[in-house]
Amino acid sequence: MNSSSKDKITTSQAVVIIINYILATGILTLPRASVEKVKTPDVWISVFLGGIVAMIAGVIIVKLSQQFPDKTFYQYNQEIIGKWLGWLISACVIVYFFTISAFEVRIMAEVTSLFLLEGTPTWAIILPFLWVGLYLISGGINSIARLFEIIFPITFVIFLLVAFLSLGIFEIDNLRPVLGLGVMPMLKGIKTATLAFLGPEIMLLLVAFMYPSDKSKAVKVVLVGITIPLLFYVITVVMVIGALSIEGVMTRTWPTIELMRSFEIPGLIFERFESFLLVIWIMQIFATFTITYYAAVLGLAQLFKKSIHPFLYGLLPIIYIIAMTPKNVNDLFKFGDKIGHAALILFGVIPVALLLISKLKGDKT
Amino acid sequence: MWEKVISYVPHWQVFMQGFLAFLIPFLIFKLFNGFLLVKKNNGKIDIKEQANQSEKVHKPIQKTLEQFTGNYNVDLAQMRKEIGHNWDVHFREFHIGNTGNRAAIVFLKGLCDKELIDKHILTSLMNCHTENPTIIKGYELQQLIKNEVLPVSDLREESNVMKSVGRVLTGATVLIVDGITSVFIIGTAHGKTRNLEEPISEALVRGPRVGFTEKLSVNTSLLRQHGENQHLSIIQMEVGERSKKELVIAYIDEIVEPNLVQEVKKRIEKINLDDVAESGYIEQLIEDNYLSPFTQVQSTERPDRVIAALMEGRVAIILDGTPFALIVPVTFNMLLQSPEDYYERWLPSSLIRLLRYLAAGITLFGPSLYIAFVSFHQGLIPTKLALSMMGTRQGVPFPALIEALIMEVAIEILREAGLRLPKPIGLTMGIVGGLVIGEAAVQAGIVSPIMVIVVALTAISSFAIPQYNAGITLRMLRFIAMFSAALFGLYGIILFFLFLCSHLVKLKSFGVPYVSPTVPYRAGDWKDFMVRMPLKMMKHRPRLLKPKDTIRKGD
Amino acid sequence: MKRKHRYVRFFLLILVSLPLTGCWSSKEIEDLGLIVGTSLDLETGDVSSEEQQDARYANRDLLTITNQLITSETTVSGTKEGSLPEKAYKNVSETSDAVLPTLRNMLLKIDKRSFAEHSKVIIIGEELASTINLKQSLDFFLRELEIRPSGLLLIAQNRASQALETNEPTKIPAFQLVEMMEGHERTTKILPPMTIAKLEGKLYSNSSFLLQNVTAEDGEVKFAGAAVIDGKTKKLRGFLNEGDLEGNAWITGDGKGGLVKGFDEQSGSPIVYEIISMKSKIVPHVDGDQISFTVKIQSEGRIAEHWVLLDKASDNRFLKKAEKVFEKEIERLVKNTLEKTQHEFQTDVSGFGTKLRIHYPKVWQKIKKDWDQTFSEVPITCEVDVTIKDYGTSGD
Repeated sequence: MNSSSKDKITTSQAVVIIINYILATGILTLPRASVEKVKTPDVWISVFLGGIVAMIAGVIIVKLSQQFPDKTFYQYNQEIIGKWLGWLISACVIVYFFTISAFEVRIMAEVTSLFLLEGTPTWAIILPFLWVGLYLISGGINSIARLFEIIFPITFVIFLLVAFLSLGIFEIDNLRPVLGLGVMPMLKGIKTATLAFLGPEIMLLLVAFMYPSDKSKAVKVVLVGITIPLLFYVITVVMVIGALSIEGVMTRTWPTIELMRSFEIPGLIFERFESFLLVIWIMQIFATFTITYYAAVLGLAQLFKKSIHPFLYGLLPIIYIIAMTPKNVNDLFKFGDKIGHAALILFGVIPVALLLISKLKGDKT
Repeated sequence: MWEKVISYVPHWQVFMQGFLAFLIPFLIFKLFNGFLLVKKNNGKIDIKEQANQSEKVHKPIQKTLEQFTGNYNVDLAQMRKEIGHNWDVHFREFHIGNTGNRAAIVFLKGLCDKELIDKHILTSLMNCHTENPTIIKGYELQQLIKNEVLPVSDLREESNVMKSVGRVLTGATVLIVDGITSVFIIGTAHGKTRNLEEPISEALVRGPRVGFTEKLSVNTSLLRQHGENQHLSIIQMEVGERSKKELVIAYIDEIVEPNLVQEVKKRIEKINLDDVAESGYIEQLIEDNYLSPFTQVQSTERPDRVIAALMEGRVAIILDGTPFALIVPVTFNMLLQSPEDYYERWLPSSLIRLLRYLAAGITLFGPSLYIAFVSFHQGLIPTKLALSMMGTRQGVPFPALIEALIMEVAIEILREAGLRLPKPIGLTMGIVGGLVIGEAAVQAGIVSPIMVIVVALTAISSFAIPQYNAGITLRMLRFIAMFSAALFGLYGIILFFLFLCSHLVKLKSFGVPYVSPTVPYRAGDWKDFMVRMPLKMMKHRPRLLKPKDTIRKGD
Repeated sequence: MKRKHRYVRFFLLILVSLPLTGCWSSKEIEDLGLIVGTSLDLETGDVSSEEQQDARYANRDLLTITNQLITSETTVSGTKEGSLPEKAYKNVSETSDAVLPTLRNMLLKIDKRSFAEHSKVIIIGEELASTINLKQSLDFFLRELEIRPSGLLLIAQNRASQALETNEPTKIPAFQLVEMMEGHERTTKILPPMTIAKLEGKLYSNSSFLLQNVTAEDGEVKFAGAAVIDGKTKKLRGFLNEGDLEGNAWITGDGKGGLVKGFDEQSGSPIVYEIISMKSKIVPHVDGDQISFTVKIQSEGRIAEHWVLLDKASDNRFLKKAEKVFEKEIERLVKNTLEKTQHEFQTDVSGFGTKLRIHYPKVWQKIKKDWDQTFSEVPITCEVDVTIKDYGTSGD
């Protein structure tokens, strides 16, 4: 697989990859996670600001990547800060990527076994999922991008559909007052909200895959790529809080599914709509899983300058074992938070540092 | 601290399962790689064998690569030796007019136009009278016959015995004249062809009622007849090692991407087969991925469809002896399109097209959704529906999967049986099978009425797909969907869908991604995808084929 | 040779996976007993001897749970040859000290696997509601995945299990209740449905709320007013009658339709006003520590029936007069309701607190703990504005 040299993606594909990467667990858990922190109906503002923080981080990442338009992060960071330090950072990023993919898989398994397949062992849920992902990834970034482009419109349409169907139990009073207790509670939620926007970091790799003529549009890619999930998240949060109220959201583990289960529309053929949400959600998790898995595999291949195939298969059991490590749902959520914090350092702080160093270096020469 | 870490180390079973997670795909990968390797090896061997074969074939040819001598007796004997033992080869000896030169015509009974031979060739030759009949010999005679005697348009001279024998076998008449060192080959081929009929497998309500026939020249003429187009190139090739067959590649050289034509030529040249019986052989030998359930080459009997494809920048392959032309490259959406979409107005045809997509969806996921909802997610169906399903399934002895399998297999058998039977009986079969068995099965309590509805709906939906082989593909995949639904319910269906999509996005047909124009997003190509926009708006050819001339119509 | 092995392995794989199909989570629909309604009662009578023997139960309240089941045998289409089942449903009761153990005990009685995804109503008996905290008794229903949050919650005035009985054997009482609930579109005497999803927010926000009350006598089920649940104790406080409910609907502006009956001042004949739209606005005023509310009610409607012989509906003066009558009537209803909720029950069930929270969030933070207490002393004024838009097909 000479994936890095041949495969190229278009601008729209890059956008869709970011969107699909960002949209994941957040759809189901963001309302609760952020309400727990904020405790006022201003959560949607926090989510909004979180998205903007992610945009800033994304733009920095893109600026960094644009310095080395034909190389991925794994290749160019050694140029900036030397071989060993670069190697170390690359290794951390790789670990981050496959850990997050393991996390997504486990969350998916938890929700599936809860809402769809009560009684099916977790391994039986996870293994086929991993294999389908593996099959896709063996086709390289192009296949991944195309698959994402297929599932994105499906997600988009179904999501808007179910969101607007839930308008029936929406109560605007649950969302008022706006900033009633000042801005402080709202600010508390920004960090949690930002963690839901993990995803722009993929631009560290994607810029290298974009067509040379499109590389200048990378900033736009990030902005659009974050704006759409931002809308999704804001709609989710507004709908969930509007229907279940702040107090109701806090006690639910998966508030968005709860929202879908809270109404029935007898006239429409389906009457119940959580299956739709679960369908698109599983697809989104699949998307996040595959892109992070691919990012990790690509990193390993480039780090060791070997073919991608042995890593593709070799990483599978590791992802599985990591996914099975958290003992219960609480552990899992804590695990997710830790990944988020790691991401803040890896993709919030390091790119800024690298950008500065490379600019300084560039000035000298 | 240490204890805490240890408490997080998973159970050994997890490690086992992790190993399994690696092992199974790895084995499958090895397995398929094995297939591919075997194929590659075969390919190598083939090349060697081909080399050997060609030598073998060439030798006898060189042996008999003899020229006509000009001696009537010798030449005739030579011809007789080569093909005289065949019952259908006729030798007719006679004298040319008043010159007294001996001559003979050799032709194949049945393949030749007898009237042409009798009225024009023999009559002209026998009745030709010249002023000094005796001097005319050799070259002069040859010129005389060519220029004055034979009123035939398709006349050639040939000096090679083997080649003229070959021409006889394809229906030409060979005229051997004493004293001339070559023979005349007169194009009298008049093979039996059937009339141009409406293609049965692709009937339309509106559109030309003409389909290809088994005769290549008729087929190419159908393409030419479509309208004057000097850029329509029809390139001849030959396939088949032992029985050679003519094959043409048609494309419009102003539009098509040259690499595509090269690729098609290359793949056809690679075909190394004794006999190519039908274009299906070619289809299977040039497709990109033979492990895929999807057809990667479109076959059609309709000239209008071929022309439309050529105009988009595709390439058509037409083989002699079959009415089925092949079109490459194929994309998934083509399988759900019909030429009629363009003949009717855009609104109805867009709706019909959407309906076909729906039908494809039902074909693929109908029974599996039924299984998922009946045996897994009873909570996701409306209460009233759940109640009636519960009632109708009461007393059914099988789980939903078995129930669905029984009915699906039964209906597939019915379909296959109905296909082979003569039409009137086939109709009866349909009624007996569909109605009686369905009704009886419900009465007997083997299956539930809702299942029968689902099965019937799936079967009908699968026939709403205009391409027969695409319908079969979807029906085949439906069974896999059913199994995955029986295993994992809705989750299984999602996984199957993702798997299918993963396969589709990896599939390519002659370098064009199979799922285009779905992805990558090209708004221009979407005008002719799920809906068909008004013709006025479809100004460009599909960009996915990278045509040289992108503009369909300007204004 | 090696190739052959590969095939063998491949087929083994398929063979192994085949028997797995249909395993794990699958359960056929006809083997389920759909729970469509559940009632919870406090057990007061004699308890089965087995339970008494267990010393731990000595001082505990016992619950009786009745599940209304529909199985494939009880559905009409399930019984072949036209023989109607005796009843379209099957009620199963069991007694124990917590919800799930009780439900599990039912396993001993029924052959079907009970399945609650289609549960439509949960009915709580009056006694249970007034002795046990709803958060406790409903915990299972909030936690359990199978119970959909779209289910309704009702309070039954006497024994809840009676509400799940009916005289008409072909009808399913649980469904009847749900369908009756839809009547709130046409009358203000029925509360808007309170689903489990909404209940959750109410339970955790410590605000008081209303639950639809149902009475059952001799197999006849009837909606009768609403039960007031206290926000702090989460126990039943008392009942509002239908008239109070009308008043409440006017305060909250939740009603979608309904009637107001007024009497003509001169002749004393009834005039009936049909509501086309109703809007209400609760405006809180905070002046220092002094909190007060103004309820502004606006309504449009038509004269649906009037018995006044002297006046014509086509006369604008009459309409003005009628409007006055209705305004007064509505004000009376509102006052009556407030009298009850403010002074008799001392609970805010009409959403005054919410408005205060929205408009004066800082004030609300201070007083939300004892809001019901504060509410009982708050002055509330009421402004009603009725507009009659038409009078049907008769101008008389």
